[in-house]
Amino acid sequence: MAMIQIKKNKLLLLLASFAIMLTGCTEQLDQPLLNNNFAGGTDYSKTEDMILSLVGVYQSVANRGWEQPLVVSTRGDDVNAAGDQQGLKNMDRYVYDNSFFGSRTLWETYYGDIIRAHTGMEQIERYKELADADGVVLGNQYVAEAKVLRALLLFQLSQVYGAVFIPTSSNLNDFANVTSVPSKDEVMQHLVAQMDEAIPFLPDMRPNERRDLPGGVTKYTALHIKALASQELKNYQGVADAAGEIIASGKFSLFPDYYQLFKTPGKLSNESLYEFQYSDFGEGTGQRVGVTYSPFGPNGWTPAVTGASAGWGFFEPSIKYVKFMLDRGERTRLETSVLFTQTGIDSIIRTTGYTVATLPAFVSPTTRDGDILSNNARHILSSGKHYLPTRQLIPGRTAYGSNKNYIIYRYSETLLMYAEALKQGASNSAISADQAVNLVRERAGLTPITGVTLDQIVDEKYAEFAMEWGKRFYDMVRLERYTELNFGGRNFTKERSFVTYHQDQIDEFPILANVPR
Amino acid sequence: MKISNVILTISFLLFQSLLFAQSTLSISGTVNDSDGMPLPGASIVVKGSTAGTQTDFDGNFTLDNVPSNGTLVVSYIGYASQEVLVANRTRITITLSNDTQSLDEIVVVGYGTQKKADLTGAITTIKAEDIVRTPSANPLQALQGKVPGLQIVSNGAPGEAPTVRVRGVGSYTGGAAQNPLYVVDGIFYDDINFLNPEDIETISLLKDASSSAIYGVRAANGVILIQTKSGKVNQKPRFTYSGYQGVEVANNLVKLSNSEQFATLARESGSAAEASFIDNAMQRYGRSRVNPNIPNVNTDWYDEILRHALIQNHSLGVTGGNESVTYSLGLSQFEQEGILRMKNDFERFNIRAKINVDLSDRLSVGVTTLFSNSTRFRPENGAFAAAYFAVPTMPILDLSKTDAFPRPYANAMDLGYRGPQNPFPLMENTENRIRGRNNLLNFNLQYQILPDKLTFLTSYSHNFETNETREVRLPYFFGIGGAFRENAELTKRNSTFSEQTWDNTLTYKNSYGKHNLEVLGGTSFRDRSFEVLEATGLNFPNGPGIGDESYFLDLSNTIDIDRVGDGGAREYYFSYFSRVAYNFDNKYLLYGTIRADATSKYQEKWGYFPTVGAGWVISEESFMKNIDAINFLKLRASWGQLGNGNVAASSGGITSTTVDGAFGDVRVPGLVTANDFDALKWEVTEETNFGVTATMFKNQLSLEADYFTRKTIDGIIPISRFLVPGTTRQNLGVIRNSGLEFALNWNKRVSEDFGYNIGGNFSTLKNEILDLAGQQNLITGGDVQQRSIVGSAINSFYGLQVAGVYQTPEEIAADPAAQVAIGNGLTVQPGDFRFVDSNEDGIIDATDRVDLGSYLPNYTFGINLGFNYKAWDFSSNVIGQGGNVIANMKRFGVRQTPDPNIDRDFAVNRWSGAGSSNSYPSARGLRNPWSNQFLNSFFVEKGDFVRLQNVTVGYTLPKLKGSFNPTIRFYATAERPITFSQFNGFTPEVADGRDQQTYPIPGVYTVGANINF
Repeated sequence: MAMIQIKKNKLLLLLASFAIMLTGCTEQLDQPLLNNNFAGGTDYSKTEDMILSLVGVYQSVANRGWEQPLVVSTRGDDVNAAGDQQGLKNMDRYVYDNSFFGSRTLWETYYGDIIRAHTGMEQIERYKELADADGVVLGNQYVAEAKVLRALLLFQLSQVYGAVFIPTSSNLNDFANVTSVPSKDEVMQHLVAQMDEAIPFLPDMRPNERRDLPGGVTKYTALHIKALASQELKNYQGVADAAGEIIASGKFSLFPDYYQLFKTPGKLSNESLYEFQYSDFGEGTGQRVGVTYSPFGPNGWTPAVTGASAGWGFFEPSIKYVKFMLDRGERTRLETSVLFTQTGIDSIIRTTGYTVATLPAFVSPTTRDGDILSNNARHILSSGKHYLPTRQLIPGRTAYGSNKNYIIYRYSETLLMYAEALKQGASNSAISADQAVNLVRERAGLTPITGVTLDQIVDEKYAEFAMEWGKRFYDMVRLERYTELNFGGRNFTKERSFVTYHQDQIDEFPILANVPR
Repeated sequence: MKISNVILTISFLLFQSLLFAQSTLSISGTVNDSDGMPLPGASIVVKGSTAGTQTDFDGNFTLDNVPSNGTLVVSYIGYASQEVLVANRTRITITLSNDTQSLDEIVVVGYGTQKKADLTGAITTIKAEDIVRTPSANPLQALQGKVPGLQIVSNGAPGEAPTVRVRGVGSYTGGAAQNPLYVVDGIFYDDINFLNPEDIETISLLKDASSSAIYGVRAANGVILIQTKSGKVNQKPRFTYSGYQGVEVANNLVKLSNSEQFATLARESGSAAEASFIDNAMQRYGRSRVNPNIPNVNTDWYDEILRHALIQNHSLGVTGGNESVTYSLGLSQFEQEGILRMKNDFERFNIRAKINVDLSDRLSVGVTTLFSNSTRFRPENGAFAAAYFAVPTMPILDLSKTDAFPRPYANAMDLGYRGPQNPFPLMENTENRIRGRNNLLNFNLQYQILPDKLTFLTSYSHNFETNETREVRLPYFFGIGGAFRENAELTKRNSTFSEQTWDNTLTYKNSYGKHNLEVLGGTSFRDRSFEVLEATGLNFPNGPGIGDESYFLDLSNTIDIDRVGDGGAREYYFSYFSRVAYNFDNKYLLYGTIRADATSKYQEKWGYFPTVGAGWVISEESFMKNIDAINFLKLRASWGQLGNGNVAASSGGITSTTVDGAFGDVRVPGLVTANDFDALKWEVTEETNFGVTATMFKNQLSLEADYFTRKTIDGIIPISRFLVPGTTRQNLGVIRNSGLEFALNWNKRVSEDFGYNIGGNFSTLKNEILDLAGQQNLITGGDVQQRSIVGSAINSFYGLQVAGVYQTPEEIAADPAAQVAIGNGLTVQPGDFRFVDSNEDGIIDATDRVDLGSYLPNYTFGINLGFNYKAWDFSSNVIGQGGNVIANMKRFGVRQTPDPNIDRDFAVNRWSGAGSSNSYPSARGLRNPWSNQFLNSFFVEKGDFVRLQNVTVGYTLPKLKGSFNPTIRFYATAERPITFSQFNGFTPEVADGRDQQTYPIPGVYTVGANINF
């Protein structure tokens, strides 16, 4: 019995010592998850780090999936969907498929990046709370820049779908019980107001004059967006005022070489109001900042630089556009906008009355930079505005269009928007409508005109902005020139102005099913 | 049991002369196992008396004063008891056979053992001889079809683990979160690829809550307990060699369309381009002399990429022990080639030792060590899909391609196709080597504080693994635009994994009259850490004659700085647990465990996992004593809660990610901050089990039947974020699995020369989502959409139901849904599918999609048959499953893959004119957006199969004369020789039901030998 007693005591001792050792173990349970940069650990008193959040917004907005620019750009009489993407082909015919992945990802990723812009602004606000006076001024500018970048996405989103939601913060619970969807007009009004809020805090310079972030947003980017949103609202006086202010600043000019504007020499030109910047940073290897231009590129070619990748052939300028340009005697702008395959040239000859003899020399499968398009089953023409001559590729890089920027807003659009607004009855004294249009024509190698009409301006925009972000399509919808959109057997009606919301979005927000189309 | 036998024996020896006074004999004899190896310590008792003895070291015994007409009862733990008539013999040799149905059998349970008769839970134990019958690297493969409620989905690639599901899928999170817990000699593992099947003594599958809840932390997906071989007290050294060698052959090959069929399809596809590519092939490779309208090439790509492969395994072991030391030592070498024709194999060398030393009556220490060294060359699984799509009108090599290197690979782009198609450049210029080293170390100390009553056990284990991955991508060129690899690329990825476990338990065991009680309490501390470092170098020396020696980052021209990666994780766990087992008179059983687990992995640290179980041994009741047919009958019931801590950790806070922006061609760093985060706790699964255990007809028939429901009540599911892509994970899902399980076995020893056994098992499974926190569904799988909705099985395939195929234009004209589609610009022609307008709105669109079935089988079964006659033994088993579906993604992929080949089944059965088929579309229809815009029932095929899983025939050589007297058995095995399935793929075993590039599961044919002495 005594033995057992001792044993028990020993046991208690043993257990006690284990208990002590194990208490040490339990402290480890509060260790944080490794390999994480916790925002809670951010030192918001380091004002110099504030810019990181702003750059994050820039990068989020520029980081687009391949299909998104196509969903925004594929409709209109300047371009056809080509290749085998049925969703895009349907869209090109104004047939909207509520299961097309592109119409889902456009919505989701645009909103994802709009929310990232809000998160960025909220982070910047937290830095501002601990910043000195200079830091606060800078913080205000950064928030204003993020607002403009957010507006860029929201504007395109509303162009595509019409009525869309307007997030006001990064808190997604705001959308738990939505009861209405702002109409396109409400979205545009919101964007005008947003730009008015941002403009006082933005640098008064061209984007390419910025030293801190070359090519970053400035006051004029915001004014341009304000003009665009006003244009969608058919508030032409608003267009004239905003565009007039850009013109009157005297800071912008058209890049003399229209062909090179869309290539390496045209990066961050004096014409640029905003462009997505992509770069190989001059190096043949290593991580690049880029976008997938492949869907725009020809599907088969013999590049001047061996090994340079061809594209996927999903985006094809229309014969209607080519004929329009040939009939106008356009040279530079046609060469810049369209790449030809031999099949394409044969098709032009067959359908337009032009012959080998009457076609300009640049209508050739070989581009001026020596890349040779081959015939292929997917497309007969390709977009020249998304094309970077392979000789301009940084040696070592092979991705289609690598290192090429993607222009969103340029001064030429400011000029033509302005001219149209005046013709629509607005007034402004910056320059005349004729002057504005002739600046654009002059750069394109065309003769000046006087007493410019609305129709001439609309044609000028067609010639100037083909293949760029569906600008032609949205003009035709706004101006209700639906017959222009009824080409090649297409049947456009007003009800087909907007892409159908994807079924997933309708499932998430049943209210979308009730939005009138 | 054994101890009481000893006492009986001793008392008998003392008093034998007083008890017996009739015609008696002195008998001597030997007790052997079925391998002819002596069994030391077997008990021999004269029936109807307490007289008896035990065999010695060599299995010999002598017993005096045995009635000449008496009966000896010979028993040994783990073997079927035998009754032997003395019949005036004085020399008797008895062979005991292994008894899988013995109720005295000791079953390994969590942190201890229990008698099988005392169990209240559902535990199935598989013994060594059933494991080694399957020629495979992974011991789990042997369990396929043998355990009801356990689904094993084989993996054909050498060295890769099969998918193991215990009682369905209870976690929405895929991958490791659905894996059961493996406990090898007390140490937790996520997989057991490092173990040699020959090293295992038993595998116990703990299926229900009552048996597994003591492993609360990870028990929700079932627990698989593995005991490695150990020595026995007072056993002479016993050497064993076992080895086999064999060949793997891909069976159930899918036939692809040949050139003739393909040319027909291309011409019917409606694409002028495709037809022209056939002409291009004829120009380039000439016309066939048999049929001048097809090219003179007919490549069967599956045939070309596959090969016969070798497999072999050799194991050497020795076990033994004296009064105070037991040991089991072993070596093994396993080698397996893959059937894909590239560097693709697995090799493993294992050393193990398990030693236990009794330092005193009360104190013993043990050390287990197992070192596994493996090298695996991972296949390029993309080759299987590439071979499916590659056109047969192209050879592997095209000697006219003089600019191609390292070999003149043929390029489909030369014929006009969009992609190069040829899988060989990828296969031949890619090498993925993974060198794994796995070390298991355990030290344990056991002290009996009160002899046979109160025991303290402390056990420290360290599982240390390293993986050195080397991925080599050599350059090749056979055309521009995707048909070349410019840079030689070398990735080195080294990872270490370490898991330390320290368990302490205190066990108290006692009997008070008819009350039997066992109580256990314990603590466990675990520290898991993982680190990985990787880098990629470009353009190291390569080319003819240069090999391994140059595969070093130091020799690369450039290290790609953006591909240098570093990752790591560390998790801590701390637990208290307790178990109480009580029975009254071996009749009424009560059982309970509780475990409290804490982890650093989740925001809610602590989880509590209780269970209770009860059993009623009806056969012990007096009213049952007269029913001779029933030897044992027990009803069981249990309830409990189990945890799943294998879902990825949650951060519990907002995090930021570094990004690069470009400004004026200068790289500028930025941060993107997330706007939400995950904060999780354990997933909890609640399980209820009802079961019956019975043995009948002299223990020859055994029955186990169970009904279970297991409900994951805190299931971690993605909760869609409003508006934006992505989800956050929250513990809001409810998933239920329920089913019935039966196992019936008949084991008969007809004579000393002949015995047979026949058995079967059958289980059903119903998987159902019960709650998704108000979300309509969870969607995954992209175009091959899988959807989870309340009321359906997890991740069911989702698409349109095909009603038939349009035969005539009139039929299309009469169908309003087709007319709407045509109005929208789609093409609908005869040969296209006609779909079910399930919402009856007159149009076919996304809202007409329906549940097309689940990848989880509704039922699985296994049948085994074995017999032995004299020196011959035979065993076989058949397995099967049904009710599941498989998405034929290769066939569906045709729509996105321009101008590909397709399988012959389609080519033969396609619609080719009115009345030709009402289930297959035309070649044009297959690619027509109307017919393939959504996944539809044509592409979702039945996964039912029946397979002859294993046939083994063995012959044991007669014993040699003389002192060196080994038992030698030769055998031949056919593993998976025949499979019956309607699925148009290599194998109906597709773990997730998505057959895109599944590695074929080969048949394996081996011959082998076991030598024991």
